[in-house]
Amino acid sequence: MLRKTLILILLFALLTACAPQATPSPAPVTLTFTDRLGREITLDGPAQRIVSLAPSNTEILFAIGAGEQVIGRDQFSDYPEATKNVTDIGSTFEALNTELIVSLEPDLVLAAEINTPEQVKQLEDLGLKVYYLKNPLTLEEMYGNLELVAQLTGHEAEAATLIESLKARVAAVDEKIAPISSRFSVFYELDASDPAKPYTAGKGTFITQLIDRAGGYNIASDLAGYPQMSLEQVVAADPAFIILGDARYGVSPESIAQRPGWENLSAVKNGQVVPFNDDLVSRPGPRLVDALEELAKLLRPELFQ
Amino acid sequence: MRNPFIISLLALFLMLVLSLAIGSVFIPPAELWRVVTGVASNETFRTILVNIRLPRTALIALVGAALAGSGAAYQGLFRNPLADAYLIGVASGAGLGAVIAMSVKWPYTTLGLLAVPFAAFIASLLTVYLVYSLAHVGGSVPTTNLILAGVAVSSFATSLTSFLMLRSTGEVRRAIGWLLGGVSLVSWEATLALVPYLVIGMTTLILTGYALNLLQFGDDQAMQMGLNVGRAKFIIIVAASLVSAAAVSFAGIIGFVGLVVPHIVRIWWGVDYRRLIPLSIIGGAAVLLFADVLARIVLAPRELPVGIVTTLAGAPFFLWVLRRSKNQGLW
Repeated sequence: MLRKTLILILLFALLTACAPQATPSPAPVTLTFTDRLGREITLDGPAQRIVSLAPSNTEILFAIGAGEQVIGRDQFSDYPEATKNVTDIGSTFEALNTELIVSLEPDLVLAAEINTPEQVKQLEDLGLKVYYLKNPLTLEEMYGNLELVAQLTGHEAEAATLIESLKARVAAVDEKIAPISSRFSVFYELDASDPAKPYTAGKGTFITQLIDRAGGYNIASDLAGYPQMSLEQVVAADPAFIILGDARYGVSPESIAQRPGWENLSAVKNGQVVPFNDDLVSRPGPRLVDALEELAKLLRPELFQ
Repeated sequence: MRNPFIISLLALFLMLVLSLAIGSVFIPPAELWRVVTGVASNETFRTILVNIRLPRTALIALVGAALAGSGAAYQGLFRNPLADAYLIGVASGAGLGAVIAMSVKWPYTTLGLLAVPFAAFIASLLTVYLVYSLAHVGGSVPTTNLILAGVAVSSFATSLTSFLMLRSTGEVRRAIGWLLGGVSLVSWEATLALVPYLVIGMTTLILTGYALNLLQFGDDQAMQMGLNVGRAKFIIIVAASLVSAAAVSFAGIIGFVGLVVPHIVRIWWGVDYRRLIPLSIIGGAAVLLFADVLARIVLAPRELPVGIVTTLAGAPFFLWVLRRSKNQGLW
């Protein structure tokens, strides 16, 4: 008995004997940033070897001209096309593949709020520099993120040009929509795993903001977060448009018409059920402006002839 | 198989080496050896080996040992081949605690990052305590009462967890990952935090082997043979729950290890709990290490939650072992 106990204790001693090593000493300070978690990051200069942990981050990096500096990206970063040639570090929804990330020897890991603080801590413990980018809540904040990532990567001039053109495109839409007094009601379907109670986007989300700016109004705009809306509520609101953010999961205008009880909705009867690329609104990056233009064209085609 | 300890320790050693050698990044064996012997080597390989694979290997081995060791003890305690740490609420309690903790935004500090495992641990122990007090009748704790109370309280905790997950907006994904047994917080801190609970708990379990042997004859017989049944049961429950709660709170809910490993040990090496528990501990560590290696390479570069692998691979393997043993009447 005693011998067996000893064997076990020895085993644990062996397993835990190897203590963690000290991290390398910090380099001379040149650039200092504070991230969403209140952590301070210092870079010796603009980051040259970047791993992006979120599709929105990847899109921002490529949009400001830092695409060449991206050496790793998460599995869901599929835009723009050039991301195909960047090493896939796997999904960030499960445990991070820290081995692969470390082996790429990045000088910056760009995380977003879809990543967990635990993941940040894990990478930080491995001596990597991690910047946790705040989720923007408005277009203005998204522009701010573009500027920030530009500073991290040394592309301030490109970012300034990009922001200017984005603002001009938004202004062009605003100008066309401004004279309109009436607004079309819209139901934006995010996920209909339960077709009797699909998920939609509520108050404050980009989906609600952009629908509003494109000359519509979201029938879920009084609900918080990403609520489920029952068929009853949808019928009561009887939206003029149904936008299918879940089109990629096989939901189509035809399948909507076949759902029991949906055939009586005006949008279904009038053929105003429209598939939509949800990536444009679910990834808080520069393509939010594409989303605004798409939505405006969809709701007010007559203004964009 | 004559010398079970040598065989199982060899298997464990092999799995430890495998777990250190295999990962999503290929490290040539020569490089591995250079890192191990401390000769100046590639800094990246050293980081991967020392700061990623080593703590993970240690954590996985400890968790596997804890789940299988406590599983063996629970099976003996309940005299039920289906028992494991999850029957009396360890997992459902931990899940509830973890999901509650996840609904709060903790500050980015070491303490804040340990909030989830800590809450899971406390909730797990509270759940077991609740089950134990519900099952307690007069001076004794009948096994049937424990199982019934365990099932009822577990179901309640599980539905409460589901309710919280449905109500929350942002943290569902994280909670699902946790409930599937994804080892998310792999660091030396996490591994070292586990050690005291596991060493105390597992040592106690190993020492209760004789008491468990007596309990196999039933409470009355065991009492006539001079065992303080109430006290023995209490000690076994405390030790086994401590061990499994600590493991679950850091590693999430990893199924099947606590069930399969003790059975395999029993089929190969007999039902003497004085051997069964230490052998299950060693075997559990080896089996979970193997499952973790699979989890890392099956869908590379993605890493699967190890709980999916243990259940997916464990169930058919278990059936195969049962069939081969041709029902030797071990129960």
